[in-house]
Amino acid sequence: MQNILVCYKWILNEQEIKIDPNTLSLDTSRAKKRISEYDKNAIELATQIVEAQGGSSIAISYGGADVKQSLKDALARGPERAIWVNDPNSDKADAYVTANALAAAVRQAGGYTMILCADTSADASNQQVPLRLAVLLGIPAITCVIKLDVEGEKVIATRRVGDTTEKISVEGPAVYTVLPEIAQPRFPTVKQVLAAGRKPQLELKVDDLGLESEKLTPKRTLREIKGYTMSRKNIVYKEGTPAEIAAQLVNNLIKEGVI
Amino acid sequence: MAGIWIYSEDIILAKELVTPAKELAKQAGQKVGAIALDAEGAKELAALGVTKVIVLQSSSSWVEAYEQAVADVLQDEGADIVLIGGTVRGKYTAAKAAARLDAGLLTDAVKVMLENNKLIAERFVYGGLAVTTEELSFPAFVTIPPRSYEIMTAESEQGEVIVKEVTAEPGITVVDAIKTQQQGVDISKADRVIGIGRGVEKLEDLTMIQALADAAGAEVGCTRPICEELKWMPIDRYIGISGQVIKGSLYIAVGTSGQIQHVAGIRDSKVIVAINTNEKEPIFAASDYGIVGDYADIVPALTEALQNAKA
Repeated sequence: MQNILVCYKWILNEQEIKIDPNTLSLDTSRAKKRISEYDKNAIELATQIVEAQGGSSIAISYGGADVKQSLKDALARGPERAIWVNDPNSDKADAYVTANALAAAVRQAGGYTMILCADTSADASNQQVPLRLAVLLGIPAITCVIKLDVEGEKVIATRRVGDTTEKISVEGPAVYTVLPEIAQPRFPTVKQVLAAGRKPQLELKVDDLGLESEKLTPKRTLREIKGYTMSRKNIVYKEGTPAEIAAQLVNNLIKEGVI
Repeated sequence: MAGIWIYSEDIILAKELVTPAKELAKQAGQKVGAIALDAEGAKELAALGVTKVIVLQSSSSWVEAYEQAVADVLQDEGADIVLIGGTVRGKYTAAKAAARLDAGLLTDAVKVMLENNKLIAERFVYGGLAVTTEELSFPAFVTIPPRSYEIMTAESEQGEVIVKEVTAEPGITVVDAIKTQQQGVDISKADRVIGIGRGVEKLEDLTMIQALADAAGAEVGCTRPICEELKWMPIDRYIGISGQVIKGSLYIAVGTSGQIQHVAGIRDSKVIVAINTNEKEPIFAASDYGIVGDYADIVPALTEALQNAKA
């Protein structure tokens, strides 16, 4: 019987963020929020394990009041209930604060057999929270998992680490970070979406977690954020036969010293 | 020894990190220390002028098992700044060590600076769409990607190597570790790369792409859908922010639209060439040379032109 906690993040859809070409400032006014793409793979894995092994999964998240809007989507993907931490200062939070808040939420969830997370978020890509969480909870962590074989209390995690495939055997609760290829997320059916609305949701106000203020004070200060631009030559060939264009390009590449 | 500390399980990467470490140390009036997992590598670091190199030895062959020992050394030494090589195992170690030291960590820093006793770094967010400037107080941890810096072999005062026996018990068992039998190439190290995207219509066209690669002396990579959905190439050929990052002289993008996550993986290429039928695709803005045309015509022509140039 599995008791899986699966963490997810409610983030701006980066495809909808516009960059002002002159100031390079970010315009997020048209960007909607969604569950970070890679978290959907983790939630799907949790659901598949529960379907095979029995038990249940709980979706866990940390963020601002608007995380409430994410719960239906998360719950429609299989978890039995959701626990989320509401922090009015989550916009300034870093991985240190996030991990502290999630650890406190996890302690309120009761027991667990495993904690699943994506290896990275699609917005900040810090790749830290799951590992910090493991240290705070005093359990092992395995990253970059592409396959999880669960046999009761024993788990064999297959990892992709650079050019190596590694198999790790784990007994007891652990944090696993998974790569997107581990499980294709399902499209929730209408029935699943409707059922999601009836599943229990527990909101924890960050001040009620019993954490010292130091634990909720970020270590990292964001000084500036601006759009990335590359200045490239932008020379475009449209006219001429393929042979003519190819000859011109090769000439230029020779001049550039790259061939 | 407070100061700037380096760690990577990969000695080449560790040697690369000596370069920014020495810069920061000079500014701070501090010294550079390093943690290594093998004695030979440690000697090489000492030869580069790292003042103190601590070699951690235990019976474990799992790199990740050393994270606690690494944290302990950094704690004991009172490290101010820690530069860790940004491999999978390095990032694992960095996050856990930072957690143990109650410290902040900036991942995949592309630039590190010191200002008023704060560590400042620039890094990419939103899949490569934006760059942040972030700041940490000490102890400050940073992970730095491979091949971000050149190894500097200047005349240096030889440092000392200290061997430390440690316990490294990760609470898990490594069952096995196999090098994946791919085409045996790490494209992130290639000087020239051809990348294919969804614009390439059929698997058979990979022959044409390979011919171009051979003529250009290049390796072949691709965008994410080519690996994950179409499964035309193994995942280690995926070029992008969470895949291979290439930093060579030449990148030729064939049938790629130029999505941010992919461009983030090619941005350090010296010259970028794009071939695409649609002039409006973002890849053209990201290129030095763009060809608006059908790859089925352009690629063979380019292959021939390259062969002629070699002849």
